[in-house]
Amino acid sequence: MEFQNVIYGTKIEKKFKGFCLDIEELRIPKGFATALIGENGAGKTTLLNILSGIRLNYHGKIQYFDEQVENVEKVKDRLGYTSPGSFFLPQWTIPQIGKISSLLFDNFDRDKYQELCRDLAISTKGIKKTVNSLSDGNRMKLTLATVFARDTECLLMDEPASPLDPLMRDKLCGMIREYIEEGNGANSALFSTHNITDMENVIDYAIIMEHGKIAEQGFVEDLKEKYILVKGNTEDVAAAKQHMYSFSESSYGFEGICLAKDLDKLAGLDISREVPSLFQISVAVMKMSSVLR
Amino acid sequence: MRILQNSGVPIYQQIYEQLKSDILAGKMRQGEYLPSIRSLAKDLKISVITTMKAYEQLEKEGLVTAVQGKGFYVNAQDSEMLREQHLRKVEDCLSEAIAAARVAGMTEEELIVTLETLIQVMPEE
Repeated sequence: MEFQNVIYGTKIEKKFKGFCLDIEELRIPKGFATALIGENGAGKTTLLNILSGIRLNYHGKIQYFDEQVENVEKVKDRLGYTSPGSFFLPQWTIPQIGKISSLLFDNFDRDKYQELCRDLAISTKGIKKTVNSLSDGNRMKLTLATVFARDTECLLMDEPASPLDPLMRDKLCGMIREYIEEGNGANSALFSTHNITDMENVIDYAIIMEHGKIAEQGFVEDLKEKYILVKGNTEDVAAAKQHMYSFSESSYGFEGICLAKDLDKLAGLDISREVPSLFQISVAVMKMSSVLR
Repeated sequence: MRILQNSGVPIYQQIYEQLKSDILAGKMRQGEYLPSIRSLAKDLKISVITTMKAYEQLEKEGLVTAVQGKGFYVNAQDSEMLREQHLRKVEDCLSEAIAAARVAGMTEEELIVTLETLIQVMPEE
């Protein structure tokens, strides 16, 4: 499918001791929500830090907004970023953060911030809470409130769902969808996540990373056509195994992911087929890349 | 519109089928715009790409036309094609009934009597 890129990168490289981020080509589709999936240490945070301009010492070329802008400094007011840790000082209160943010950002809407803080139930009325008195979940909600209160075109979020409870994850999905809808094709979101199942219904495009490289990427609906979940009986294990992408067997039979292009090689076997979830696809791809190394 | 998350039918297909039947039944008229892809995704709590796939399928079948930057509008429905679609649906439903009747061991006569009774009992819309 044809699409424009909100972020387009080529040959992005960053070397650390024992780790090397090495991305040949990166495309973040404009007008969609993209998830960055991968094991711990796969390079998701490094990539997000590079894209958001936090890390500037890297090799490669990154272009923003339809390949119009190359300098991240020039698009900072159009980008919103959240990190897994809080970047507010511990003694700041919730209203103070609103005040400071409106000084820092031209496009910060203080009314919207207050509304979000109320809506996300971060503070109880009448009690002046400081950042250090908040739980991890509430600190993340506060970070989200400050970023959603700004008028931006692209959100970069590092593990936004991790500290949140199920109800709040559902709410976050709704907030991302609303953000994408408000932009009517101009707003995009990129976030890393381990909570694939909770976020699946908001993910349009998935990038699966392993060992600093992109192992697989694509629109979720296309990935669900490329990979097929297959289940079969014990007697067919030997015949099926060689044609499967991922494979596991038990005393009752086998199951795994088969590439759609290889499915006709399983013809004649008594198998059932299913559309895999993004979680199942991600696990299969991650396992494959782990073995390859 | 009703979307079932765990019915085994892909979500895009559920959207596609419900919109298709709305269009064929005339609930959505010629020239009318479908809800925008992103607002439907928001309302149904599903991803944008899933909605897009449903709309693309409708477009492929000539039920709607995409206009750059404006969305998808409903095409004029060929009445001959409409009738054809309805006839096919009737045949499908009847075939299903026949199969069920055979499983239940009903005779042909019994099946025909049942059909006739149902026609009498069911009020016309």
